[in-house]
Amino acid sequence: MKNLKILLIEDDLIEVMKFKRAISSLGLNHQLIEATNGEDALKILEEKDNIPDIILLDLNMPKINGIEFLSILKKDNTLKYVPTVILTTSSNQRDLLACYEIGIAGYVLKPLKYEDYVQKIEKLLAYWSINELKKL
Amino acid sequence: MSQNQVDILKRALAREKSARKQAEKILEHKATELFEVNEKLKKSNIGLEKLLLRTDSQLQGVFENIVDAYVIIDLSGNILKMNEAAVSLLGFKHTKEDFNLIKMVHFSELKRVQESFKILFDEGSITDFNVNLITKDKQSKIVHINASIIYDEGVPVAAQGIVRDITKEKAHEEQLIASESRLSTLILNLDSGVVLEDENRKIVLTNNKFTELFNIDIDPSELIGQDCLASSEQNSALFKSPEGFLKRMREVDEKKEIVIGDELEMVNDKILERNYIPIVQGDQLKGYLWTFKDVTLNRTYRKSLEVEKQKYYSIISNMNLGLIEVDLDDRILMVNQSLVKMTGYSEKELIGIKGKDILPLKKDEDILKQKLRERKQGKTESYELRIKTKAGEIRHWLVSGAPNYNIKGEIIGSIGINFDITEIKNLQLQKESLLKKLEKSNDELHEYAHIVSHDLKSPLRSIYALTTWLKEDNKDKLDTASIQNFDLIESTLEKMEQLITDILKYSSIGSDEHDKVHVDIDTILKDLLEINYTPNHIKISVQNELPIIWGNKTKLQQLFQNLISNAVKFIDKEEGFIDICFEEFENHYQFSVKDNGMGIDEKFHDKIFKIFHSLNKRKDSTGIGLSIVKKIVELHDGEIWLESTPNVGTTFYFTLKK
Repeated sequence: MKNLKILLIEDDLIEVMKFKRAISSLGLNHQLIEATNGEDALKILEEKDNIPDIILLDLNMPKINGIEFLSILKKDNTLKYVPTVILTTSSNQRDLLACYEIGIAGYVLKPLKYEDYVQKIEKLLAYWSINELKKL
Repeated sequence: MSQNQVDILKRALAREKSARKQAEKILEHKATELFEVNEKLKKSNIGLEKLLLRTDSQLQGVFENIVDAYVIIDLSGNILKMNEAAVSLLGFKHTKEDFNLIKMVHFSELKRVQESFKILFDEGSITDFNVNLITKDKQSKIVHINASIIYDEGVPVAAQGIVRDITKEKAHEEQLIASESRLSTLILNLDSGVVLEDENRKIVLTNNKFTELFNIDIDPSELIGQDCLASSEQNSALFKSPEGFLKRMREVDEKKEIVIGDELEMVNDKILERNYIPIVQGDQLKGYLWTFKDVTLNRTYRKSLEVEKQKYYSIISNMNLGLIEVDLDDRILMVNQSLVKMTGYSEKELIGIKGKDILPLKKDEDILKQKLRERKQGKTESYELRIKTKAGEIRHWLVSGAPNYNIKGEIIGSIGINFDITEIKNLQLQKESLLKKLEKSNDELHEYAHIVSHDLKSPLRSIYALTTWLKEDNKDKLDTASIQNFDLIESTLEKMEQLITDILKYSSIGSDEHDKVHVDIDTILKDLLEINYTPNHIKISVQNELPIIWGNKTKLQQLFQNLISNAVKFIDKEEGFIDICFEEFENHYQFSVKDNGMGIDEKFHDKIFKIFHSLNKRKDSTGIGLSIVKKIVELHDGEIWLESTPNVGTTFYFTLKK
């Protein structure tokens, strides 16, 4: 299993804490880049030598929301190859369909229970660790 | 032979001899007599010829100057002499022609001619004898003959006659008779009563209709000669105003001028039209012609026609529909009061103009032109049009137009009936915009529910995570009571999350016809039972071959799921069962879900379908499940109700439209 460079775009501090605590309790050595909103994320992604292997994206964000961010990403000739997994509370079918239409690599609902959350993150990262990704 | 016999023979011979001698003597005497007669005849012939010659010379002048044809024939009909007029009348070539006149008589007339000859001989002359002749040149002529016998010393020797061609006269006479008889038949049977009076007011002619109109029960011919003045006084009783009748008659009579169209009302409600025509020849009054006509029917027709016309006119002018009549050039011929009100233009302003040029909104002009074209081809239809009134207000009209035909069936224009539907139209437009707004607000509500649910769930999740961490990080420091409290926090969070999820579900159930498909309930239930966990002590049985429903698949699934899980939740017996059945009706299917659970008291039967009315404060019950069920059933035009006995069990019934 290789280590991934993960860009987590999440505005909720506790959610970020949850993710960090999850990977550390799982003993995983992935590299984490944090962005609290879409604008920050786009700035980070401008550095072409620091492109992440995978992006985890929350949909409900201030300023540029998740779907808008996704659209910008998919129009970029380099960034469109970065698999983006939605990590959200929204079970709204419209959001789900809109995301798949633009192009996403997964749609994961955040569960209530922390234990469930840890399990989901474990499986998600395990899956992307065994995937072949574009060399950037 | 005896002597006796010889004697007899001798005597007979002698008798014969003397007889012959006597006969010869008689013969001789007769011969002498004959000779004498012959001589006399010769003499008389010579005399006659002499006479003839003499008469000839005497009459020659007269003879030739007579305009009429003059013919002398012998007693057998042979022409002895005739003048030039006779030659041309009888079709000869010259006066010396030798011809027997009898040959000219038409065979049908022979008998009459013979009779007339007899009269001629017996009486010596005949006058006014008309006969049909076929002349020498084969022409049929009717001739008038006056003839007399010519005597020679008392002995008739010849006949002379003057012959006149009356063929034309006769024809004229016949024509006259025919036309007279036609005229009198005509008058007799005329549809008008006719009375012709002479200058002394005596009836000269009248007809059947007159006797009929005046109830006179005798033949018209019997009235001839009667005094009109007297009879009119009698007849005056037939009229509603006898005095008026007589007064007017006297007036007319005195003036002696033509009067046409006097109306007389009779006692029997008949209306007579009376005409008076004085007949004047030169300066002299020759009589009067009165004609009477029964015009009752015409008058009543006209009257009822007038009434009908008035009725429709009043309907047309007072109805709430604008009426407009245009000619083939689309020029306005007629408008009613409503149309005047509807347009704001006066009738004067509208008549004669082309309505299509000023009334419709610019954008709708082409519609109107198209429709007017179609109407000229005989099409009838209605359509909507926007109109600009004189004040500039835009009104919506519903226009129904039809071609207008004349009596010959030719299109002479069209008639349009216009109904102002602005109010209705506005309501419709309002409704449309309201619907749009509603759709939008529904949409927003849907989004809003999701956002709210997200925003509510996020802190829950955070609290949950933090609680978990507190618990994890302080495992050794916390006592059992504190750990229990942490667990309670967690389960409360779970319940709250469930609540939010259910509210979201409930508010998401809207009627969206687009989502409806044919849903096989059979498959839905099989899938449900496979996926969902059922405790071992509960047996669920489903009647075979459930129907196919037109509806929303996910919602129908939820409907059954909620009912089944509800049943499972409340089964308090050791051996539980859930029976699912259905029954088909004409317009709907009725399903039932029966359990042997704890049952529901009847006083709660209505309450349980209301949102947040959970009867049992249970960890796994939010009180929304049955509300969702009811909403789904109603979305499928169905009803839901239940039968329940506390502690025995409950049966939920619901119907779904076919």
